[in-house]
Amino acid sequence: MKLYLGLLESSLPDQTRVFGELDGQLVDLQIACAAYLTQAQGNQANAYELASYYFPQTIAGFLEWGDPAQKLLDQVMSFVGKSGVRELRGPGGEKLAYESTDIRVLPPLQNPEKSFVIGFSDRARSEALPPAEIPTGYYKLPQTFVTTGAPVIWPKFSQELDADGCIAIVIGKAGKRIAPEKAWEHVAGAMLIVDITARDINKREGLTTNNLLGKNFPSSTCVAPALLVGKDKQDLLASEVVFSLDGSVEQKFALRDCVFTVEQIIARWSILGIKPGDWLAIGASMARQGDRLQNPVPLKIGSTIRCASPAIGELSHQVVAAGGIRR
Amino acid sequence: MKLVTFFHDEQERIGAIDHSGNIVDLINAYASHLRKVDKAAAAVRLAAATLGSDMVAFLKHGDKAIDAARIAIEHAATDSAGDNVIERQRVRLMAPVPRPGALISAGKNFSDHVAEMSSKKGPAAPVAFLKLPGSVIGPEDDIPHPPEVKNLDYEVELAVIIGKPCVEVAAEEAMHYVAGYASFNDISARDIIRGENKSGIHLMGKSFSGFAPMGPYLVTADEIADPQNLRLWLRVNGETRQDSNLGYMIFKIRDMIAYWSQMGLNPGDVLTTGTPRGVAAGRKPDQAPWWLKPGDLVEAEVEELGCLRNRIVDELDCGK
Repeated sequence: MKLYLGLLESSLPDQTRVFGELDGQLVDLQIACAAYLTQAQGNQANAYELASYYFPQTIAGFLEWGDPAQKLLDQVMSFVGKSGVRELRGPGGEKLAYESTDIRVLPPLQNPEKSFVIGFSDRARSEALPPAEIPTGYYKLPQTFVTTGAPVIWPKFSQELDADGCIAIVIGKAGKRIAPEKAWEHVAGAMLIVDITARDINKREGLTTNNLLGKNFPSSTCVAPALLVGKDKQDLLASEVVFSLDGSVEQKFALRDCVFTVEQIIARWSILGIKPGDWLAIGASMARQGDRLQNPVPLKIGSTIRCASPAIGELSHQVVAAGGIRR
Repeated sequence: MKLVTFFHDEQERIGAIDHSGNIVDLINAYASHLRKVDKAAAAVRLAAATLGSDMVAFLKHGDKAIDAARIAIEHAATDSAGDNVIERQRVRLMAPVPRPGALISAGKNFSDHVAEMSSKKGPAAPVAFLKLPGSVIGPEDDIPHPPEVKNLDYEVELAVIIGKPCVEVAAEEAMHYVAGYASFNDISARDIIRGENKSGIHLMGKSFSGFAPMGPYLVTADEIADPQNLRLWLRVNGETRQDSNLGYMIFKIRDMIAYWSQMGLNPGDVLTTGTPRGVAAGRKPDQAPWWLKPGDLVEAEVEELGCLRNRIVDELDCGK
């Protein structure tokens, strides 16, 4: 199941809604749940209240309810499917299914506490096979997030931009110091990330083993648009991600190719504590291709980048000059 | 003004310190003013909409919120009834900005500290790293000592809180974007950082929960004549470990703001200045080690900004 976070055209910025995708339509889960509770469960009295309890305004809030909400999600969507996604209405006659073009789709997790990309410094990268001992990573600030369709703005301070297609493992269950064999119990699903780097800045920062300006500028983190939930471990490990530049395939990888396992990464980073909505991304540049690592893809102004996986979704962005957008 | 975030009646609230050291609840006091003077309806909701519900929102609301806060403080001085003013000891102070959008901490920014950490020379451009906003704690909260960490260290710094959206500003203009200042302690796990640097880059070693004590209040920029000339010091169990002056910074506050504004800064983002010499990592092998251990009391203070008093506790004992 793919989940989206979005705004209706008339919504205030804080009135986000969670949608599930069915037959190409985006289904408002709160209203669909209320319809399910009234029609399938005969619950007239508090259907709206229960629906907003199980499907709050954010995906992170939904993930916090854990397994019961996931089960209810399946029941609701199967009810919507049987009733007909285009015909079904909420208990008060509310519209509940939209074309994706009618929704302003947002990055699905707006303000995670931990949004890390697992990666090396450039120095460590060249020494990374055999693998480095621990999966280090850097923090991508939520203020850098954009989702599909938004321009990637070339920052004035850089001459050298590149991109790395990534899969983010999204946490569904809180934990701290999680044992590797328990790691997958904490995974809710996955989404796509494109990690944009100002490589010239990053090289300089790498000398002091920091990653900040080179990794965190407006639109340097392309996210989702959908969060895929409910897939099992083997499917996620095998999901192939293809990153292409102006139509030509530049990177291809799956999680199983990564030099660190999901178990290792969760065990390491859960030392800090992780909670629903946090994510840990692994890029093609951490994935083996034969006996070496894949490379990030150099960008030019005007480039169109596409990061896609049949199961997880698709990100598409154009790289534009800094002057293209006024602040 | 000395602005605070405090926890009272199970709620996070914004406030200000009044002339007697007590806490003005800004929303309650401003609502009380609106009711009495303007005869406003739904005054609490109007006050919350004007001031913002937390410190980041307050800073985003800009001058209108600052003006309302001044009115609230004046009003509370004449009408301290009800819940306008709360005694200091009845609340727990949180960090003034408990959840900054970005927490950017400078490294290698005092020449004496660069020397003690045995780097060859200072950096050519400002060096900084992100600490996780979730590592921020209040001025009297405990600092959990994680079981993984052997070399726990301290770094007294100045926190500079951004007050206006700030993109690609020149150093000459930079200080106009500062909302205010607070004392800050950049707690660091040196052994974790060393291990991370061996494999790649460091993040965890600076970002455990509780590794960023900040406060006790945000002193607004108008009250600090020369932020670049403030003494800062740190004591462990009463013994002075660091004692220096922000005048010795390599990249000055305005240079830091100008440089990091390239990534786009927002109200409520926090830059910290880097630390002077005297950290535990700078001890020589023949000297008694200074690593922090459970039971230690760490006091970090910047002149005019108040003192942070945080006790180190074994993380595994937390919540017991």
